[in-house]
Amino acid sequence: MRTVLKVVDNSGAKKVMCIQALKGKKGARLGDTIVASVKEAHPNGKVKKGKVVYGVVVRAAMQRGRCDGSEVKFDDNAVVLVDKQGLPIGTRVFGPVPHELRMKKHVKILTLAGHIA
Amino acid sequence: MRLEKCWFCSSTVYPGHGIQFVRNDAKIFRFCRSKCHKNFKMKRNPRKVKWTKAYRRLHGKDMTQDSTFEFERKRNRPERYDRNLAEDVLKAIPKIDKIRVSREEKHHKNRMKGNKAKLLKEAVKELEQGISLVKAPSVLEKDPSLTLPKIKVQVSQQQAEENHPMEE
Repeated sequence: MRTVLKVVDNSGAKKVMCIQALKGKKGARLGDTIVASVKEAHPNGKVKKGKVVYGVVVRAAMQRGRCDGSEVKFDDNAVVLVDKQGLPIGTRVFGPVPHELRMKKHVKILTLAGHIA
Repeated sequence: MRLEKCWFCSSTVYPGHGIQFVRNDAKIFRFCRSKCHKNFKMKRNPRKVKWTKAYRRLHGKDMTQDSTFEFERKRNRPERYDRNLAEDVLKAIPKIDKIRVSREEKHHKNRMKGNKAKLLKEAVKELEQGISLVKAPSVLEKDPSLTLPKIKVQVSQQQAEENHPMEE
């Protein structure tokens, strides 16, 4: 809630604020889906400022346990905007994304991403 | 399964251990334990921290160039499975390990070569300077065998003559 996240795709939004984590009451973690409000946007993008959008957290500064027991953490908090079905709105994804997205059925984001960590 | 090396201390990171940090340019930093992770967060340079492998290599403490290191190297091309080859590799591992350990011991021995004479010299010097701490000077006077032999030095008589005017 109220976390401002960077948007790392070309949907047109720059920064979004988390207004709801779709699973769990403790807030979203790496790989979770959130509902967010667009706080900053490019002037002629697909997504306008003030819209309520869905997004997948692809990078989180807080560490998350991996299936083998080790942990992974990233430099910043970032999302990729998706629609209600879970398909990305933009056509590109910037920066590294974790391979855990595969388990969350976001294969499309993985294929768009340049680096998979 | 690949066993990665810790970015900070160069030890092996076994599966399920440690934490990995992914920078925004997709460079992955793996750490074997929180100690290494904390040191990384403090922006310490592993070359300047004495307990890391990088420091020891840089300062000639460890063996750096050896043919045994060639076996344990990151290879990006996967080897096609071959039963005979796998058997040979498994047989060779302990042998290579043994050779490496013996060479490391030799390196350490070489490195420590001049140390014994140096230590002895230092000890003799300390004993000479600090003998009064072990034996009180009064005891040394009683038993002349404990002191070093006295050396007689001839002193000219000039000083005594100079003192005469003071008495008047």
